[in-house]
Amino acid sequence: MVTPLEIIRKKRAEAVNRIVSKGYLSTIRVYVGMATCEIAAGSKEVMEVFRQAIANGLTDVYLSQKGCAGRCNLEPTVEVIEEGKIPVKYGRVTPEKAREIVERHLKKGEVITEWAI
Amino acid sequence: MEDVQYKMMLCDGVSCIHNQSKELQSAIESELDKSGIRDAVSIHLSGCLGMCNKGPILIVNPGYTIYGGVGSEDVPEIVQSHLVEGKPVARLVIEEDHLYNRFFRIFGDVDFFGKQMRITLRNCGVIDPENIDDYLSVRGYEALAKVLCDMTPEQVVAEVKKSGLRGRGGAGFPTGLKWGFTAAQKADEKYVICNADEGDPGAFMDRSAIEGDPHTVIEGIIIGGYAVGATKGIVYIRAEYPLAIKRLEKAIEDAREHGFLGKDILGTDFSFDVEIRLGAGAFVCGEETALIHSIEGARGMPRPRPPYPSVSGLFGKPTLINNVETWANIPVIILDGGEWLSSIGTETSKGTKVFALAGKVHNTGLVEVPMGTTLREIVYDIGGGIPNGKKFKAVQTGGPSGGCLPEEYLDTQIDYESLAKAGSIMGSGGMIVIDEESCMVSLARFFIEFTQDESCGKCTPCREGTKRMLEILTRIVEGKGKAGDIEKLERLGSMIKKSSLCGLGQSAPNPVLSTIKNFREEYEEHIEQKKCRAGQCVALLSYVVNDECVGCGACKRICPTGAIEGTRKEKHLILDEKCIRCGQCYDVCKFEAINKV
Repeated sequence: MVTPLEIIRKKRAEAVNRIVSKGYLSTIRVYVGMATCEIAAGSKEVMEVFRQAIANGLTDVYLSQKGCAGRCNLEPTVEVIEEGKIPVKYGRVTPEKAREIVERHLKKGEVITEWAI
Repeated sequence: MEDVQYKMMLCDGVSCIHNQSKELQSAIESELDKSGIRDAVSIHLSGCLGMCNKGPILIVNPGYTIYGGVGSEDVPEIVQSHLVEGKPVARLVIEEDHLYNRFFRIFGDVDFFGKQMRITLRNCGVIDPENIDDYLSVRGYEALAKVLCDMTPEQVVAEVKKSGLRGRGGAGFPTGLKWGFTAAQKADEKYVICNADEGDPGAFMDRSAIEGDPHTVIEGIIIGGYAVGATKGIVYIRAEYPLAIKRLEKAIEDAREHGFLGKDILGTDFSFDVEIRLGAGAFVCGEETALIHSIEGARGMPRPRPPYPSVSGLFGKPTLINNVETWANIPVIILDGGEWLSSIGTETSKGTKVFALAGKVHNTGLVEVPMGTTLREIVYDIGGGIPNGKKFKAVQTGGPSGGCLPEEYLDTQIDYESLAKAGSIMGSGGMIVIDEESCMVSLARFFIEFTQDESCGKCTPCREGTKRMLEILTRIVEGKGKAGDIEKLERLGSMIKKSSLCGLGQSAPNPVLSTIKNFREEYEEHIEQKKCRAGQCVALLSYVVNDECVGCGACKRICPTGAIEGTRKEKHLILDEKCIRCGQCYDVCKFEAINKV
């Protein structure tokens, strides 16, 4: 008989595969905070900027939403993760700032330190 | 953010201090200076990292290399090999796979997160809450599988007991005992309930937990159902949390699809399902017996206990009821072990507590700290202190049921007993920082107004008593306080505490009593001198024009009641009887020519 633990291990492997197939192993992963508080602060519009950028041909970027990490006064937050580098978290991101993050950070690899937390 | 290549985290937890983390820090600093890479590396002290038996712990990011048992003699090798040449020192690296420490791997924001320890919020802000794959990939539902595979219900209860976990809703009843009571009952049906009726003003821990990681809570509930022999779980959540409800619904649906809920879970003969019940936002429904009445379709009113819900709860059946945060601890206890959780915290309070840090601090937000952290560490280290150079006055914990602690209590450790001893309570996790510009009498009045409004009306002390207290406080802040009012408040307060039916009434006077205890002089000033030192009580405040006035007329133009007179280029005058103390003249004046007195 297959035990529950075996089932769960198989399910986990499948889940990881599905995440990877969605591009998780891209060079850059971008997370936009999307809890009630973040949405109230305007994160939906920020998310839309990144979605549009990917629709318009930005490649090698994995975009996902996340819950609230607790940085209330700095919301909306956007996190940019690259393997082997210190993660960069941007606070109080507006659609304009998001567009600039796309242009400068995601496309040219420049960390915009003055907006980072 | 500094432009650094490496961030080091050095555990500053109690047992690591014994293991000489301070010496280690200075050793690292001098070694970095020697190698000339001081600017490329930042060192941060963190709270307990939960690996005490292998301390001192040093974590190097990026890469999330954990070094254990590091001594000063190892420092040159670490600096040279890892930081200069990029090769981690393999002989010191330890492998730790606790669920919670995933969090540090991806968080660069160490100033805010360094002193935190995220157990229940370990996935919040890390995974996509609407995607069960994300949860599965971080060992999601493995605790459930482990329980179904290797543990009897009795063993699960024993593990929870061993962890020392206590109810995170505020009262702090030992969770394992509660589980044991419910499990011991013989009945054809039992229920488990998740209390997500978060009602304290300023508190948002449960909402964030559910919005950020709904599956953890669901997994905890299923395990609870297995442990006590229930087949049905209910999440009681307030309707004003639409996004949390949506994510919870999605999570339940996904869990059903994967066979974590429903009949014969994961191929065993254990069947269990969860449904959501919406609360209409009455504060009293956070009280367990009122909550149960509300689910039954009756009016949300408490009833006397005993019998406790674990004996006779929902529809008269044995019912296990726990708060969101308590449930979120369960998968960690199962996977990392009750013993591990009990190694964190203080003698009487184990594990971590989530607080919604708000009010006059730089970094407002959601924080999770190990028990035993001091209030000072939360307010100053995590919260970043008071903005605008203002002075700290008090910290309020426990919302409308809690109290205000002044500066001398800042070094109080956070655990159930210490906070109670200091005159406040742990509560569900609201924490409001108050600076010198807030009036303690108004604050107490605000909370009494809240509880008075939310009192269900069933028992007289709470219904009538809070009303009388509110009347007295209202007249004090309006400058009509009388001698003897403070004593009357104290008498009423202690009476309400002793004679109310449920927790709402029993704790309602706390904000008043604790502010009288710690800030009695402010009450006296309001009553005797008709003065509010914080300048917040408008009735005790007048605006006057001083000699700096150049007669620009800005105040006169903005005054909504025409209370300011004066000709151009001459000093103006505020007519006290017409003034409504809106403060607009004060804000608009460019010459600091208006004083609040």
